[in-house]
Amino acid sequence: MKVLYSSLAFFLVSTMAWGQGLAGTIAGTVSIDGPVADATVVALHVDTGRVFTAVTDMDGFELTGLPAGIYEVDVPPLGWRTLQFSQPDVVVELNQTIVLRIQLVEGNLGVIGDDLAFVAVRNKYSDLEGELPRTADGKPDLTGVWQGDVDPDEAIPELLPWAARETDRRNANFRADSPEAACLPGPIPIWPTIYRFVQTPEIIVQLFEYQPGARQIFTDGRDHPDDLDPTWMGHSIGRWEGDTLVVETVGFNDRSWLWNGYPHTERLRVVERFTRLDLATMRIDVFVEDAGALAAPWELGLTWRLAPGEEVLEYICNDNNVYFENIGIQ
Amino acid sequence: MKNLACVCLGVLFLAAVFSTASFAHHSFAAEFDADKPVTLSGVVTRVDWRNPHAFLYMDVTDEETGEVTNWAIELGSPNGLRRLGWHRTKVAPGDRLTVEGSLARVRPNLANARTAMLVETGERLGASSSQAANPRRE
Repeated sequence: MKVLYSSLAFFLVSTMAWGQGLAGTIAGTVSIDGPVADATVVALHVDTGRVFTAVTDMDGFELTGLPAGIYEVDVPPLGWRTLQFSQPDVVVELNQTIVLRIQLVEGNLGVIGDDLAFVAVRNKYSDLEGELPRTADGKPDLTGVWQGDVDPDEAIPELLPWAARETDRRNANFRADSPEAACLPGPIPIWPTIYRFVQTPEIIVQLFEYQPGARQIFTDGRDHPDDLDPTWMGHSIGRWEGDTLVVETVGFNDRSWLWNGYPHTERLRVVERFTRLDLATMRIDVFVEDAGALAAPWELGLTWRLAPGEEVLEYICNDNNVYFENIGIQ
Repeated sequence: MKNLACVCLGVLFLAAVFSTASFAHHSFAAEFDADKPVTLSGVVTRVDWRNPHAFLYMDVTDEETGEVTNWAIELGSPNGLRRLGWHRTKVAPGDRLTVEGSLARVRPNLANARTAMLVETGERLGASSSQAANPRRE
C-alpha cells in the first residue's frame, strides 16, 4: 500500500509532533471496470487549502495523518483520458477512516479500446521495480518500451487573447478541425501512447504509436541549424545535465495543436527534461514556451512507466479514417 | 490508533459528456451523442480491423416488423483492443453480438460500442480482465 506524501513539509512535522491519535484517514479503491493502479488521488483540505496526495496500487490507496475537516477528493484524468473525478464534502474526523470506492468514468464515450486498454497495461507493470540501468559510459540508459500518461496536476496555460479565443472556438467545435482528426501529427510532447526509446551515444530515437511514428533527438553535441524549415515535429537536440537528459525542440511549424487543443506559433520551443528514476519510472518535466501564443511558459509534469512486455504497434491512421464522413463533413 | 468507524461512501462521480479533458486523435463527442444510448443485438456480417478505429457490421432484426438493418459499430484502435485481449479473429461473421453504446449524430445506422458481448458464450469483449466474465458495474 503506497503511503501519502504531503505537498507541505511542515504538515508532516506537525503530525509527528502531535502523534497518530489526532488525525484521520481517507482510504479506498479507484476502479474503472476493475482496479486501477498508479492513479493519483488528491485530497484538498478546504479550510486550509492544504493538498495531500497518494498513488494507488492494485489494492487501493490510503491517505493518513489528515487533519479533521471537509475535503474535496479528486482523481485527475489519466490515460486517454478518463474524466476528472471529484467528490466534495468528504468529512474526515480524527481517529476515523472514511472509505471511498471511487469509480472512474472513461472519456471519449467509453469507446472500447481506449481507457481500459491504458489501465490494463498500467496495471500489468505496476509492481515492476529495479535499479536504474546505465550505459557503458555511465549515463542513465533510457532505452526501453514505456507507457506515457497525462499530467495529473495539469496546469492551465496563460494564453494570449487570440489563443484563448481560438481554443474556445476549437472546443466548441469538438476539435473536429484538428490536424489529428485528419491523421496529421500531434504535438511534442508526444501523446501518451506506447513508446520505445532507443538510446545510442549520438542519437536517441523515440518510436511511438501515433503519427508520424518516430522522432530523432540528436545527442552528438550539435546545435540547431540556422536555416531550419519549420516542421511538424521540430528539431530536437539533447544534452546531459547530470543524470537528466535535457531535450530542446525548436523549428516547429504552426500547424499542430498542443495538448487540449491550445494553439501555438512557429516560435514554439519545448524543453523536456527526462530523468529515469529507477528501472520502472521516468519523470519528464516539460516546459512549453511560445511568445506568440502563451503569456507565460506552460509546465507539465509527466510520469512514464516501463512496459517491457509491450511493443509499439503499427498505427496507420489514414488506413480507414472515416471521421469526416461520419460527422457529415465530406 | 483505533479506527472507530468505517464510513463507506457509495459511488458518486461527476461525469461530463464533454469535459475539458483531452483526447488524442478526435473526439467521439462530435460523432456520437451520449444522450442517445442504444443497445443492439444482431449477427455480425463484417469485421473491419483497421486504424484509427475498428468497425464491426451486424444485421439487426426489428422484432416487430422483421425488417433487417445493417448497423456499423465503431470501436477503438485495434492496438488498444489487442491489449484487452480482443484480437481481430475473436469475432467472425455469423457470430451473435450484443453491444451498448451511443447513437451517431449524423450518419444513420452507426453507433459506437461501450460494451460488447458474444451472445453464445456470454463473454464480454474488451473488458478489463477482471470483468470479462462478470456483469459490468451499475
